[in-house]
Amino acid sequence: MDQKLMGFRCKSCGRIMYPKHERCVSCKGMNMEEVELGNQCTLVTYTKLYTLPEGIEMPPLTLGIVDFGGVRAFGQIATDEPKIGMKLRPVWGKLRRLGDKDIYGFRFEPVESG
Amino acid sequence: MRDVAIIGCGMTKFGRLEGKDLMDILVEASLKAIEDAGVRDKEFDAVYVGNMMAGELVHQTAIASALVDRIALFPAAADRVENGPASGASAVKNGFLAVASGLADLVLVAGGEKMTSADTDVITDLVSTMTHPTAEYLHGVTLPALAAMLTRLYMERYGLTERHLAMVAVKNHANGLKNPYAHIQRAITIEGAMGSQLIADPIRLYYTCPISDGAAALVLCSADEAKKYCDTPVRIAGVGQATDVQSVHEREDPAVLKSVRLAARKAFEMAKLEPKDIDVVELHDAFEILEIVQSEDCGFFEKGKGHIAVEEGVTALDGELPINPSGGLKARGHPVGATGVAQIVELVWQLRGEAGERQVKGARRALACNFGGFGNNTVIHILERMD
Repeated sequence: MDQKLMGFRCKSCGRIMYPKHERCVSCKGMNMEEVELGNQCTLVTYTKLYTLPEGIEMPPLTLGIVDFGGVRAFGQIATDEPKIGMKLRPVWGKLRRLGDKDIYGFRFEPVESG
Repeated sequence: MRDVAIIGCGMTKFGRLEGKDLMDILVEASLKAIEDAGVRDKEFDAVYVGNMMAGELVHQTAIASALVDRIALFPAAADRVENGPASGASAVKNGFLAVASGLADLVLVAGGEKMTSADTDVITDLVSTMTHPTAEYLHGVTLPALAAMLTRLYMERYGLTERHLAMVAVKNHANGLKNPYAHIQRAITIEGAMGSQLIADPIRLYYTCPISDGAAALVLCSADEAKKYCDTPVRIAGVGQATDVQSVHEREDPAVLKSVRLAARKAFEMAKLEPKDIDVVELHDAFEILEIVQSEDCGFFEKGKGHIAVEEGVTALDGELPINPSGGLKARGHPVGATGVAQIVELVWQLRGEAGERQVKGARRALACNFGGFGNNTVIHILERMD
């Protein structure tokens, strides 16, 4: 599936935001355009969660904040051996089951070649 | 604006309160506060009730009107105030505004939550719904996960170790042991804490607060009138509240609690005081890391040095700046809507010299920090003994 993780760029001041705000958090501008956040990010911080939320089967669930060079995102990290600063890339897939719905979104997996 | 004073306070014991429902405990705390203020025969103008999730947890709504009904405060204005885990302090702030503006002369502020009748999973999920619906919640975030990611940043940047989290927990349990209202009255050891179950690495069970029932209440009036009712009224000298972006990853620096910084700055400016003027503090240690980070972002310690202050005993009951003499959320417990009111009840007792074994000697000025969301809405009050 050709899904891209998208951010939102304020046309007035250029700030890129993720997630979307109806008004820019820097300048209150209201004209936004979608921009790709890119294919490479680094891990800023993480946790391995042992007390799991609904719809996640096997502990631990690794969660983390990633940085795309100034704009950050949060999500599941597809490794049991996270390390701050490691290179990751967003990958589309099923995140969890919530109620009777499968939730899809981006998780972040290590870029293989060091 | 006129000055506002606290002339009465009361609270229930916190814990698993079997056989008492939410309204029972709100009534109990409110009647204690009314008795304490000696205003049983007076007409109240307004009632504010801090509560986060009565609708979801105990299937009751409009609880401020229900409280007025139970204790016959008609025709007082009555509002439930919801601001996540800072609902209590937001209710106090509303009470302050009503009196300060002259709209009301006598106000009851209560806060309460009945949580132990629900499953832990249900509560963890409900609390997680405070996070960003699509950018955080859907991915499986929980509050312990957010606290763990903050802890990890502190370990990387500032040399915080797991042992420091255990030290805060040990201190707060020791204080809770001296507080008859505390949910958990049991001493713990560093080793015991560090051997407890991992919840969200590096956060273990003992670095988090319990799930509790409880209620707390205050009576407010104008500072000019306060001496009529009370020998040692406590003035609300400063109020500060600030918000920040909802998603933690979007914060300017995810290791800084900016809403705490801004709320503290506003409260100190209003009170015309500085951090060094404060004698005793109640912080929102839903996770022990938060006591350390808030102690810095409130301005008491340099950024990255809060854990050193813990190590040196500065924040202990007999230290230079006792933090959480009540036991904090860790030991007193955290019935979410009650917490912000209970922090102020504790500080009123401290400033009046009525805190028993956990009394901070000679305390005249105090600060309470109630933290909503995961730090995207913080309410801070500064209190001062009037005499």
